[in-house]
Amino acid sequence: MIQLEQITKQYPGQAMPAVDKLYLSIPKGEICVLVGPSGCGKSTILRMINRMIEPTSGIVKIDGQDVTSTNPDQLRMGIGYVIQQIGLLPHRTIAENIAIVPRLYKWPKEKINKRVDELIVMMGLDLEKTRGKYPSQLSGGQMQRVGVARAMAVDPPIMLMDEPFGAVDPIARTHLQDELLRLQKEIKKTIVFVTHDINEAIKMGDRIAIFNAGQLVQFGTPEEILTNPINEFVEDFIGRDRVVKKLNLYLAEDAMKPIKCLVRDDELQNVARKMKDAGAEVAFLVNEAGKACGQISAGDVEEFGMDIEGLRKRAQRRSNAFVQTTTPFPDALSLLLEYDADYLGVLKGEELCGVLSFQGIRKHVYRKEGE
Amino acid sequence: MRWENFRFALFEKAPEALLEHSMIVVITITLAILISVPLGVFLSRPKYKKFGLVTLNILNLLQAVPGIAVIALALPILGLGMKPAIVALLFQSLLPIVRNTIAGLLGVSSDVKEAASGMGMSQRRILWEVELPLAIPIILSGIRTATVYVVSIGTLASLIGAGGLGNLIMGGLSLFRPEYLLVGAGLGALMAIFLDRMINYLEYRITPPGMRVE
Repeated sequence: MIQLEQITKQYPGQAMPAVDKLYLSIPKGEICVLVGPSGCGKSTILRMINRMIEPTSGIVKIDGQDVTSTNPDQLRMGIGYVIQQIGLLPHRTIAENIAIVPRLYKWPKEKINKRVDELIVMMGLDLEKTRGKYPSQLSGGQMQRVGVARAMAVDPPIMLMDEPFGAVDPIARTHLQDELLRLQKEIKKTIVFVTHDINEAIKMGDRIAIFNAGQLVQFGTPEEILTNPINEFVEDFIGRDRVVKKLNLYLAEDAMKPIKCLVRDDELQNVARKMKDAGAEVAFLVNEAGKACGQISAGDVEEFGMDIEGLRKRAQRRSNAFVQTTTPFPDALSLLLEYDADYLGVLKGEELCGVLSFQGIRKHVYRKEGE
Repeated sequence: MRWENFRFALFEKAPEALLEHSMIVVITITLAILISVPLGVFLSRPKYKKFGLVTLNILNLLQAVPGIAVIALALPILGLGMKPAIVALLFQSLLPIVRNTIAGLLGVSSDVKEAASGMGMSQRRILWEVELPLAIPIILSGIRTATVYVVSIGTLASLIGAGGLGNLIMGGLSLFRPEYLLVGAGLGALMAIFLDRMINYLEYRITPPGMRVE
């Protein structure tokens, strides 16, 4: 756990302190995102944790121990540090770059080599091709992967990331974010993550701290902040599409309902009755192998009546109107709009396990909003 | 022009002169590196940056004084021989090396230094493992400038009895033997070109491969 106790940082020659009497507790094993407009002091706070900047007053504690009780170099060796500009050593190979901190710890050579290989693979880079390359031979996204690998080299319990994905292109950024989240599930590090992008904060954060002008404005889970923005500043900062942003927090499985009606191709003429008997608004078409391959809604039945061919075509047109249980709401909504449908089948792997409706999504979000 | 004189200058006089000249150059440049590089490192440290401008200006001034004047001024203080010549030449060769050392070290990207320090590398380690390797091509280019400079100004050293290729040139002038002059000046030029190319090659070889690719 990282604790900041009444931290103030006053830069000489500036009227306002960059950080003003800040109290903040960052729980272990979580990603805590510091977010705010530029100049709000978020980077300064991050850099006070590993003593790249010393606070004017106040105490920073890591696991109860005052950081000033450790020599700054020793302290930093034990904390992963990733910056936007990456800062790979241009005259060293990728392997040598990743090996920097293990070398500071004087690990034996074989142990370093083994760890470097492990990290290159973990970061999704091609081991043979990447190892001996120089940073200038990599793309921005690849370089930042190396930057993250380098920070994790000695498996430090804490990682500080200062706008780590700010300089890479949007596609690479999404990849890097997803991978960091996937990794975090396994490595469970305490990550302090600075960004100015509220969307990135909502995506990455277990907890978000919103700053303005050196003050902590709100601290809470993404859901808390999106549901109850504490004041106008936070509301503005989140944006008018606050509730739409909230959609990102929920997955298809959160709002799915059980399936009531399945039909085989040869039962299509009876579909109206079958649905009525089951009290279902939607029926899923299954093939011989039992796999879902289409859907028919009550509206379709009304529209086509006994036109079996028409029903079949309609059902098959929606053969891709399925989501996984882990699909977030926005992607599901996008599919609903794309197929002009009211329902989506929810799959767990290959198996159909539920139905997600437009109404269900709306109710789920509204209920959370009303809480 | 007489072949006889030419031959005498080239085979009887030149080897010794060339050896003396090389000695003057090697000793001067070695001393210059030993003084200038640490001085440049010192002046590039944030704490002492404020002395940088003053020092560079003093060195600038020293270099602006014509070589012959430095040598003439050195005479009454240091006497005759190779030692005063080397001291005089040293004054002239410090500036390019100090200036390039500072430029090279300050040119190292602050992102790289920030990352290195954020990983827990000590300032000393950053200097040796990050800053100097990245600055070395630029430092070498300063050494190259200084070397060429010392080779050419070095010919004046013979005026205070330091020997070297200047002996041939001065001898040629006073004895009206253009052959001597030609051999002395020609060898001096060749030596300057040779050293320039050699250090240039060294610069290329020593540039970290990752930096060469760009």
